Amino acid sequence: MNNIELSDSKLVSLYIKGNEESFEVLLNRYKSKVFTNIYLIVKDTYIAEDLTQDTFIKAIKTLRSGRYNDEGKFKPWVLRIAHNLAIDHFRRKKRYPTIVMEDGSNVFNTLEFSEAPYENFQVQEDTKKKLRSFIEELPENQREVILMRHYQEMSFQDIAESTDVSINTALGRMRYALINLRKKMKQHKIAYDSNIYPT
Amino acid sequence: MIQTFTQLDLIRFIYNETTNEQHRDIELALLCNNELMEEYKSLKSTANALAKVSYAPSNSTIEKILNYSKSTNLHTTH
Repeated sequence: MNNIELSDSKLVSLYIKGNEESFEVLLNRYKSKVFTNIYLIVKDTYIAEDLTQDTFIKAIKTLRSGRYNDEGKFKPWVLRIAHNLAIDHFRRKKRYPTIVMEDGSNVFNTLEFSEAPYENFQVQEDTKKKLRSFIEELPENQREVILMRHYQEMSFQDIAESTDVSINTALGRMRYALINLRKKMKQHKIAYDSNIYPT
Repeated sequence: MIQTFTQLDLIRFIYNETTNEQHRDIELALLCNNELMEEYKSLKSTANALAKVSYAPSNSTIEKILNYSKSTNLHTTH
Protein backbone atom coordinates (compact mmCIF):
# COMPACT_ATOMS: atom_id res chain seq x y z
CA MET A 1 0.00 0.00 0.00
CA ASN A 2 1.28 3.44 -0.90
CA ASN A 3 0.86 5.07 2.49
CA ILE A 4 2.81 8.29 2.03
CA GLU A 5 -0.19 10.45 1.23
CA LEU A 6 -2.81 8.63 3.29
CA SER A 7 -4.00 10.48 6.39
CA ASP A 8 -4.82 8.71 9.64
CA SER A 9 -8.47 9.44 9.00
CA LYS A 10 -8.38 7.75 5.59
CA LEU A 11 -6.51 4.75 6.97
CA VAL A 12 -9.02 4.36 9.79
CA SER A 13 -11.85 4.56 7.31
CA LEU A 14 -10.26 1.91 5.06
CA TYR A 15 -9.58 -0.35 8.05
CA ILE A 16 -13.17 -0.17 9.23
CA LYS A 17 -14.18 -1.28 5.72
CA GLY A 18 -11.94 -4.34 6.05
CA ASN A 19 -8.59 -3.27 4.65
CA GLU A 20 -5.98 -4.95 6.87
CA GLU A 21 -2.97 -3.19 5.36
CA SER A 22 -4.25 0.19 6.48
CA PHE A 23 -4.03 -0.87 10.13
CA GLU A 24 -0.49 -2.11 9.60
CA VAL A 25 0.40 1.36 8.33
CA LEU A 26 -1.17 2.98 11.40
CA LEU A 27 0.60 0.49 13.67
CA ASN A 28 3.99 1.20 12.10
CA ARG A 29 3.30 4.92 12.22
CA TYR A 30 2.56 4.99 15.95
CA LYS A 31 4.12 1.90 17.56
CA SER A 32 7.22 3.80 18.68
CA LYS A 33 5.26 6.74 20.10
CA VAL A 34 2.84 4.45 21.94
CA PHE A 35 5.67 2.31 23.30
CA THR A 36 7.72 5.31 24.48
CA ASN A 37 4.65 6.98 25.98
CA ILE A 38 4.00 3.88 28.11
CA TYR A 39 7.67 3.32 28.91
CA LEU A 40 7.97 6.85 30.31
CA ILE A 41 5.24 6.00 32.82
CA VAL A 42 5.96 2.37 33.75
CA LYS A 43 9.77 2.58 33.30
CA ASP A 44 9.98 -1.11 32.45
CA THR A 45 10.53 -2.25 28.87
CA TYR A 46 8.80 -5.62 29.34
CA ILE A 47 5.67 -4.09 30.84
CA ALA A 48 5.75 -1.38 28.16
CA GLU A 49 5.83 -4.14 25.54
CA ASP A 50 2.74 -5.85 27.01
CA LEU A 51 0.82 -2.62 27.41
CA THR A 52 1.64 -1.57 23.84
CA GLN A 53 0.03 -4.79 22.68
CA ASP A 54 -3.00 -4.15 24.93
CA THR A 55 -3.30 -0.60 23.58
CA PHE A 56 -3.51 -1.63 19.94
CA ILE A 57 -5.81 -4.55 20.67
CA LYS A 58 -8.14 -2.19 22.52
CA ALA A 59 -7.98 0.17 19.52
CA ILE A 60 -8.81 -2.69 17.15
CA LYS A 61 -11.81 -3.73 19.29
CA THR A 62 -13.18 -0.19 19.31
CA LEU A 63 -12.65 0.28 15.58
CA ARG A 64 -14.24 -3.08 14.78
CA SER A 65 -17.23 -2.42 17.02
CA GLY A 66 -18.07 0.81 15.23
CA ARG A 67 -17.72 2.81 18.45
CA TYR A 68 -14.81 4.91 17.18
CA ASN A 69 -15.95 8.49 16.88
CA ASP A 70 -12.67 10.33 17.00
CA GLU A 71 -12.19 10.37 13.25
CA GLY A 72 -9.19 12.34 12.10
CA LYS A 73 -7.60 12.24 15.53
CA PHE A 74 -6.27 8.72 15.68
CA LYS A 75 -2.93 9.71 17.19
CA PRO A 76 -4.19 11.51 20.35
CA TRP A 77 -6.86 8.82 20.73
CA VAL A 78 -4.44 5.88 20.67
CA LEU A 79 -1.96 7.75 22.89
CA ARG A 80 -4.76 8.37 25.38
CA ILE A 81 -5.55 4.64 25.45
CA ALA A 82 -1.84 3.95 26.08
CA HIS A 83 -1.65 6.55 28.84
CA ASN A 84 -4.78 5.22 30.57
CA LEU A 85 -3.52 1.62 30.43
CA ALA A 86 -0.19 2.67 31.92
CA ILE A 87 -1.95 4.53 34.74
CA ASP A 88 -4.25 1.52 35.33
CA HIS A 89 -1.15 -0.62 35.61
CA PHE A 90 0.07 1.59 38.45
CA ARG A 91 -3.30 1.40 40.21
CA ARG A 92 -3.29 -2.41 39.99
CA LYS A 93 0.26 -2.48 41.27
CA LYS A 94 -0.86 -0.38 44.24
CA ARG A 95 -3.72 -2.78 45.00
CA TYR A 96 -1.49 -5.80 44.65
CA PRO A 97 1.89 -4.72 46.01
CA THR A 98 4.98 -6.40 44.67
CA ILE A 99 5.98 -9.45 46.71
CA VAL A 100 9.59 -9.12 47.74
CA MET A 101 11.80 -12.09 48.59
CA GLU A 102 14.13 -12.24 51.59
CA ASP A 103 17.04 -11.12 49.42
CA GLY A 104 15.04 -8.10 48.26
CA SER A 105 14.37 -9.36 44.74
CA ASN A 106 10.94 -9.32 43.14
CA VAL A 107 9.34 -12.77 43.36
CA PHE A 108 7.92 -12.37 39.86
CA ASN A 109 11.17 -11.36 38.20
CA THR A 110 12.14 -14.87 37.18
CA LEU A 111 8.61 -15.80 36.13
CA GLU A 112 7.59 -12.65 34.36
CA PHE A 113 10.84 -12.02 32.59
CA SER A 114 11.91 -15.52 31.75
CA GLU A 115 10.67 -15.21 28.19
CA ALA A 116 12.29 -12.05 26.93
CA PRO A 117 11.30 -10.88 23.46
CA TYR A 118 13.43 -12.80 20.99
CA GLU A 119 14.43 -9.61 19.25
CA ASN A 120 15.45 -6.94 21.67
CA PHE A 121 13.56 -3.99 20.23
CA GLN A 122 14.76 -4.72 16.72
CA VAL A 123 18.16 -3.39 17.56
CA GLN A 124 20.49 -5.93 16.07
CA GLU A 125 23.76 -4.16 15.75
CA ASP A 126 26.08 -4.02 18.70
CA THR A 127 26.46 -0.26 18.45
CA LYS A 128 22.74 0.33 18.66
CA LYS A 129 22.46 -1.98 21.64
CA LYS A 130 25.22 -0.12 23.38
CA LEU A 131 23.60 3.22 22.67
CA ARG A 132 20.37 1.98 24.15
CA SER A 133 22.14 0.78 27.25
CA PHE A 134 23.86 4.16 27.56
CA ILE A 135 20.47 5.86 27.42
CA GLU A 136 19.23 3.53 30.17
CA GLU A 137 22.20 4.47 32.33
CA LEU A 138 21.47 8.21 32.17
CA PRO A 139 19.96 9.97 35.19
CA GLU A 140 16.17 9.72 34.98
CA ASN A 141 15.50 13.36 34.11
CA GLN A 142 18.05 13.23 31.26
CA ARG A 143 16.74 9.92 29.93
CA GLU A 144 13.21 11.33 30.04
CA VAL A 145 14.06 14.37 27.93
CA ILE A 146 15.90 12.19 25.38
CA LEU A 147 12.91 9.86 25.03
CA MET A 148 10.40 12.69 24.81
CA ARG A 149 12.36 14.72 22.24
CA HIS A 150 13.77 11.95 20.07
CA TYR A 151 11.12 9.25 20.20
CA GLN A 152 7.94 11.16 20.98
CA GLU A 153 8.93 14.18 18.91
CA MET A 154 7.83 16.60 21.63
CA SER A 155 9.11 20.17 21.48
CA PHE A 156 11.20 21.49 24.38
CA GLN A 157 8.26 23.70 25.32
CA ASP A 158 6.00 20.63 25.52
CA ILE A 159 8.63 18.72 27.51
CA ALA A 160 8.98 21.64 29.94
CA GLU A 161 5.21 21.75 30.49
CA SER A 162 4.91 17.99 30.76
CA THR A 163 7.70 17.68 33.33
CA ASP A 164 6.82 20.89 35.16
CA VAL A 165 10.16 22.62 34.67
CA SER A 166 11.30 25.73 32.79
CA ILE A 167 12.24 25.41 29.13
CA ASN A 168 15.85 26.24 30.03
CA THR A 169 15.91 23.35 32.49
CA ALA A 170 14.60 21.01 29.77
CA LEU A 171 17.24 22.32 27.33
CA GLY A 172 19.95 22.00 29.99
CA ARG A 173 18.95 18.40 30.72
CA MET A 174 19.18 17.59 27.03
CA ARG A 175 22.62 19.19 26.84
CA TYR A 176 23.90 17.15 29.78
CA ALA A 177 22.30 14.02 28.36
CA LEU A 178 24.11 14.51 25.04
CA ILE A 179 27.41 15.27 26.82
CA ASN A 180 27.08 12.18 29.01
CA LEU A 181 26.20 9.97 26.06
CA ARG A 182 29.12 11.37 24.11
CA LYS A 183 31.48 10.50 26.99
CA LYS A 184 30.16 6.94 27.11
CA MET A 185 30.48 6.61 23.33
CA LYS A 186 34.09 7.75 23.51
CA GLN A 187 34.86 5.40 26.39
CA HIS A 188 33.47 2.48 24.39
CA LYS A 189 35.05 3.71 21.16
CA ILE A 190 31.73 3.98 19.37
CA ALA A 191 32.19 5.71 16.06
CA TYR A 192 30.41 8.95 15.51
CA ASP A 193 30.20 11.32 12.61
CA SER A 194 32.74 14.06 13.21
CA ASN A 195 31.99 15.64 9.87
CA ILE A 196 29.00 17.63 10.98
CA TYR A 197 28.53 21.15 9.79
CA PRO A 198 25.74 23.65 10.28
CA THR A 199 22.70 22.82 8.24
CA MET B 1 26.67 43.86 16.13
CA ILE B 2 28.24 40.86 17.87
CA GLN B 3 25.70 38.28 18.97
CA THR B 4 26.40 35.97 21.87
CA PHE B 5 24.82 32.58 22.23
CA THR B 6 24.35 30.35 25.20
CA GLN B 7 24.92 26.62 25.19
CA LEU B 8 21.15 26.24 25.46
CA ASP B 9 20.69 28.20 22.22
CA LEU B 10 22.93 25.63 20.59
CA ILE B 11 20.57 22.87 21.72
CA ARG B 12 17.62 24.75 20.21
CA PHE B 13 19.63 25.11 17.00
CA ILE B 14 20.47 21.40 16.83
CA TYR B 15 16.80 20.49 17.26
CA ASN B 16 15.56 23.14 14.83
CA GLU B 17 13.69 25.10 17.47
CA THR B 18 15.09 28.50 16.58
CA THR B 19 13.47 31.18 14.45
CA ASN B 20 14.86 31.65 10.93
CA GLU B 21 16.69 34.76 12.11
CA GLN B 22 18.22 33.01 15.13
CA HIS B 23 19.17 30.08 12.93
CA ARG B 24 21.02 32.32 10.51
CA ASP B 25 22.77 34.22 13.33
CA ILE B 26 23.92 31.01 15.00
CA GLU B 27 25.20 29.66 11.69
CA LEU B 28 27.30 32.79 11.28
CA ALA B 29 28.52 32.59 14.88
CA LEU B 30 29.57 28.96 14.36
CA LEU B 31 31.62 29.91 11.32
CA CYS B 32 33.41 32.63 13.29
CA ASN B 33 33.91 30.76 16.57
CA ASN B 34 35.94 27.54 16.55
CA GLU B 35 35.13 26.68 20.15
CA LEU B 36 31.40 26.99 19.51
CA MET B 37 31.78 24.96 16.32
CA GLU B 38 33.55 22.17 18.17
CA GLU B 39 30.82 22.00 20.79
CA TYR B 40 28.18 22.02 18.07
CA LYS B 41 29.86 19.17 16.20
CA SER B 42 30.14 17.13 19.37
CA LEU B 43 26.49 17.61 20.40
CA LYS B 44 25.13 17.22 16.86
CA SER B 45 26.96 13.97 16.18
CA THR B 46 25.61 12.49 19.43
CA ALA B 47 22.07 13.62 18.58
CA ASN B 48 22.47 12.05 15.12
CA ALA B 49 23.58 8.77 16.67
CA LEU B 50 20.39 8.71 18.77
CA ALA B 51 18.33 8.81 15.60
CA LYS B 52 19.69 5.36 14.76
CA VAL B 53 18.35 3.81 17.96
CA SER B 54 14.89 2.32 17.86
CA TYR B 55 12.42 2.47 20.73
CA ALA B 56 9.62 0.25 19.59
CA PRO B 57 7.89 -2.98 20.55
CA SER B 58 9.46 -6.22 19.33
CA ASN B 59 8.54 -7.88 16.03
CA SER B 60 6.77 -10.65 17.95
CA THR B 61 4.45 -8.11 19.62
CA ILE B 62 3.73 -6.48 16.26
CA GLU B 63 2.94 -9.91 14.80
CA LYS B 64 0.53 -10.68 17.67
CA ILE B 65 -1.30 -7.39 17.15
CA LEU B 66 -1.60 -7.94 13.39
CA ASN B 67 -2.73 -11.53 13.88
CA TYR B 68 -5.37 -10.37 16.34
CA SER B 69 -6.54 -7.78 13.82
CA LYS B 70 -6.79 -10.40 11.06
CA SER B 71 -8.68 -12.77 13.33
CA THR B 72 -11.35 -10.14 13.95
CA ASN B 73 -11.77 -9.08 10.33
CA LEU B 74 -15.29 -10.06 9.33
CA HIS B 75 -14.72 -8.76 5.79
CA THR B 76 -11.93 -11.24 5.02
CA THR B 77 -12.69 -13.59 2.18
CA HIS B 78 -10.79 -16.87 1.80
